[in-house]
Amino acid sequence: MIDQMEPAPKDTEYDLYFGPAHPGSGNFGVKLKIDGEIVTSARADPGYLHRGFEKLMEYRTPIQNAVLSDRICVLEPLNWNLVHAEAVDELMGIDVPERAKYIRVIMAELSRIQSHIIWYGVFSIGTGFDTGFKMAFGYRDYILDLFEMITGGRVYPAGYICPGGVRRDFPNGAADKILKVLDKMGEMIKLEELENPALDARARGVGTLKVKDAIRLGATGPVLRGSGMKTDVRKEEPYEVYDRLDFEVPVRSEMDAYARYMIGIEEMKQSIKIVKQALEELPEGEVIAPKFKRPRVKVKIPEGEVYVRNEAARGEAAIYMVSDGESKPYRCKIRGPDFLHMIPVLEYLLKGAQIADVPAIYWSLNICPADMDR
Amino acid sequence: MKLGILPKLFKNLFSKPMTVRFPYESIPIPDGYRGEHAYDMEKCISCGLCAKICPNRAIEMVEASKEYKDKYPKTYPKIDLGKCCFCGLCEDICPENAIKLTKNFFLSTFDDSNVIRPPMPKAEEQIND
Repeated sequence: MIDQMEPAPKDTEYDLYFGPAHPGSGNFGVKLKIDGEIVTSARADPGYLHRGFEKLMEYRTPIQNAVLSDRICVLEPLNWNLVHAEAVDELMGIDVPERAKYIRVIMAELSRIQSHIIWYGVFSIGTGFDTGFKMAFGYRDYILDLFEMITGGRVYPAGYICPGGVRRDFPNGAADKILKVLDKMGEMIKLEELENPALDARARGVGTLKVKDAIRLGATGPVLRGSGMKTDVRKEEPYEVYDRLDFEVPVRSEMDAYARYMIGIEEMKQSIKIVKQALEELPEGEVIAPKFKRPRVKVKIPEGEVYVRNEAARGEAAIYMVSDGESKPYRCKIRGPDFLHMIPVLEYLLKGAQIADVPAIYWSLNICPADMDR
Repeated sequence: MKLGILPKLFKNLFSKPMTVRFPYESIPIPDGYRGEHAYDMEKCISCGLCAKICPNRAIEMVEASKEYKDKYPKTYPKIDLGKCCFCGLCEDICPENAIKLTKNFFLSTFDDSNVIRPPMPKAEEQIND
């Protein structure tokens, strides 16, 4: 919680609130203490977007929780659907059909591309490159059209990836449309890769996070890979069909905001590669386990506990679920990757930075206040 | 300094905009879109599964209004579109396909009586699709 503003002892010292009701910060605030142009200390102020998912999930059955799990992170709902569905599948010991596994991977990767495009957009607007933002949201709509066709909703798939498989099969001609959209994404990547002197000047050498500090502060995903550590849950602990697919984990050694930005572009390329492979290998058959073919009001979850972790677009997303044998989970702990990116990592990086670099550092962490506050 | 953006810039000058003028025209809505509910009272067997599965408790089982009460004596779903998250679980669970989600997404209103949909026979109901 933020304390009352104190009177400044020196003329050059003052407090500056970055958010939470500022379009450049997105539902999340940072209280900065400034001396001249330099940030002397930063204090994150979470809680503006708290909705209490962990408690809400204790009052709902798994099929209802699948719908709820969309909302954990607005920008990558399908990845969170997948984490939740895997946790329930593992607790209940459900065999997910092969086709459903491939569809899950395709949808999760499309969601990752879409999320990285938004990352590029908000990073651009944070550093004053307005065209990048418009371009990103324009190209993102191609993927939203796909989601609309496949899941029935543009942003929220409403538990498309549900316990037991996926809720609907691909409609006719979906594969062709996905390939067309991937070509468009290739165009977008080309635009992102264009030389941009303004962005170079704003991002290079800004917000340097060494590997040792990154690990100590709990960074995962693109932030940790931008700091030079090769790590990816999809490789280390493969889930679904990732062990059968061929892709690389991009790593960069610059450790600054620019490296993290480039990691986003590289990851989009790898995701396109994954989706293309998965579409080629997509088998025929059922898309949902017989037990969940028709949603049921009461499904008993066997007693037990499970910890499932996935590689979401922002880092390691995990769910720890405990069941006491009832139809509703006893406890559902959600580990959002951005909790650690937005509090310890951000506070560490902002300390000693210039005011003008604050948005560049802030957006280079690929943040999402929704999954931090939960 | 390279000017790689220039070809794109010239292309954009002579191409159509990405957006459409929304209230006058709309992008095509695919089949299977989850929009406003179409409820068929004839098919409904009053099992109440839709009210039980609804994650937001937007559906409540109520008696039909006075003029239909003789013909429809059981309880029927009353849908609160303000609470609804359009997940489509009611559609999936309905054993008689009495509830279906239509393509109509144009639900903004200034009149709050439009938001709550009491159970009505289909002939009386005005579905603007």
